[in-house]
Amino acid sequence: MVRCAGDPPYPILDGMIRLNHLTKRYGDTLAVDDLSFTVEPGHVTGFLGPNGAGKSTTMRLILGLDTPTSGEALVNGRPYTTLGRPMAQVGALLDAGAVHGGRSAYHHLLCLARTNDIRERRVAEVLDLVGLTGVARRRVGGFSLGMKQRLGIAAALLGDPRVLMFDEPVNGLDPNGVRWIRDLMRSLAAEGRTVLLSSHLMSEMALTADRIVIMGRGKLIAEATVQELTTRYPTLEDAYLALTAGSVQFGAAR
Amino acid sequence: MRAVVSSERLKLRSVASTHYALGAAALMVVLGVVWSLYVSGLADERGSVRAAAPEEGFLPLVQISLAVIGVLAITAEHATGMIRTSLTVVPRRDVLLFAKAAIVTVMTFAAATAILMTTYAASRLIAGERRLGFNESSFAGNVPTLLASALSVTVLALVGLGLGAAVRSTAAALVSVVSLLFVLPGIANYLPAPWNTRIAAFMLPNLTPQLTGERLSSRLGDGILPPWAALLALLAYAAVALGVGLHMLNKRDV
Repeated sequence: MVRCAGDPPYPILDGMIRLNHLTKRYGDTLAVDDLSFTVEPGHVTGFLGPNGAGKSTTMRLILGLDTPTSGEALVNGRPYTTLGRPMAQVGALLDAGAVHGGRSAYHHLLCLARTNDIRERRVAEVLDLVGLTGVARRRVGGFSLGMKQRLGIAAALLGDPRVLMFDEPVNGLDPNGVRWIRDLMRSLAAEGRTVLLSSHLMSEMALTADRIVIMGRGKLIAEATVQELTTRYPTLEDAYLALTAGSVQFGAAR
Repeated sequence: MRAVVSSERLKLRSVASTHYALGAAALMVVLGVVWSLYVSGLADERGSVRAAAPEEGFLPLVQISLAVIGVLAITAEHATGMIRTSLTVVPRRDVLLFAKAAIVTVMTFAAATAILMTTYAASRLIAGERRLGFNESSFAGNVPTLLASALSVTVLALVGLGLGAAVRSTAAALVSVVSLLFVLPGIANYLPAPWNTRIAAFMLPNLTPQLTGERLSSRLGDGILPPWAALLALLAYAAVALGVGLHMLNKRDV
C-alpha cells in the first residue's frame, strides 16, 4: 500500500473527513458548536482539546452514532450512515472497552468482519499485526486496557480502510506499545491514509502528528501544522496550554 | 443483510449466556422425565390419573429461558458498549435489529421445537401403556399444540428483543417480559366476568391454547379468539415490540 510521488492523486473527496458547521446540543449544553474543519489524507492529524471539549462527541457524530443537531459530517463526501460497507472505507477506535467481555478476541473480530463480508483470514492477519495472536482465543473480559486498545486497533484495520480515527489509543499502553502506535500511525499516514488521532500526551503528539486541530468548549480553537505551532511556541505543549487557556472547563485553580 | 445475520449468529453462539439459556430451557426434558416417572408411579397404584402434559406444564420455563436470549441479544450490547462498535460496522440500525430478530427467531424456534419434542417423546415412552391423561391423544393431534407452543416461545423472545432495544436495560426488559407472561395474565384472571375472559384472551400465554382451539383454563373457560385471530394477535405482540424497539433505536444516540 505504499504510494509513491508519481501515483495519480485521489479523487478530491476520497479519504477526506469534512465537517460543515457541525453542531450538537444536549439539553442546554452545546457539546459541539458550529465546528468546521477538514482532515486530509497522507497525514496524522492530532485532535486536541481539554476534557469535555467535544472531541469524542465529534468522533461519534462523524460515525453517525450521535445525530447532529445541525450541520453535517462527511466521510469520503458522504454521511457515514449511508456508506454500504463502511469497514472498507473507515476504521475507528472510539472506546476500547466497547466490547462484550465474554467473547474471545478472535470471535469479536470475526463478528465484526462478517458484517462487511471480510474474509476470515484477515482476522488472523490483524491479530498478528497488533500482537494479540497468542491470546486470540481468550475472553476479552480478562484483557488489560492496553490489550483492549490493541484489539480495538485490530478492529479498525480489519477492512483495510483509507480513513482511520482513534480516540486516545495510547491510554493504558506500555512504552513498547506507545512506540508501536506512533510508528503504526505514521506508517498508515505514509501509505496515503487519513489518520485522525486524539490524545492528551503532547510530547507523544509532537512526535506522531503532522497537523493539529484544537477544540475547546465545542468550538474550533486552532488548525495548524505541528511545525507552525512549534515555531511560534517553545513546544507543542506550550502551544496547547496557551491556546486552550480560556477553554478549560474542568481542572484545579492555577 | 445475510452478512449481518451471519455475524449476529456468531455473536449469539460465541457468548456463554446463550448456552446457559439454552441449557436452562433444556431442563424441561429433565423435569418432564421426573414428572412422567412420578405420575406413572401414581398410575401404577391407582390404575389411571389425569396428569398435565409436561411439555405444557413446564412451557413457561422454556419461554422465560429463551426470552432471555432475545433480551440479551440487544441489552448485552448496550451494557458493554458493544452497540457502538456494532453500529460503526453496521450503521443501518434497522438492518442490525432485523438481523438480530432473524437469528433469534431461527434459534429459539429450533431450540423450543427440539426441547418440546424431546420432552413429548420421553414422557410418552415412560408412560407406555399407562393411562395418564396427557398420553391419550395421538401424536398427529398433538403436533399443532407443540408447534403453537414453540411459536409462543419465539414470539416472547422477539418481544424481549424489541423491548430490550426500547429500554436498553437487561433488568427492565426481563421484568417487562415476566410481566407479560405472568403478572398481567394473573391480574386479568381476577377481573369480573365476562371481562376476565375477554381481556385474558389477548394475554400472551393464553394465545397458545386459542391457536389450537383449546380452552384457556377451568376458571376462564373457552377463549374468544378463533385460531387465525390468536395467531395474528401473537404475531402482533412481536411486531409491536420490534416496531417500538426500532423506533427508539433509530431515535436515540448510542
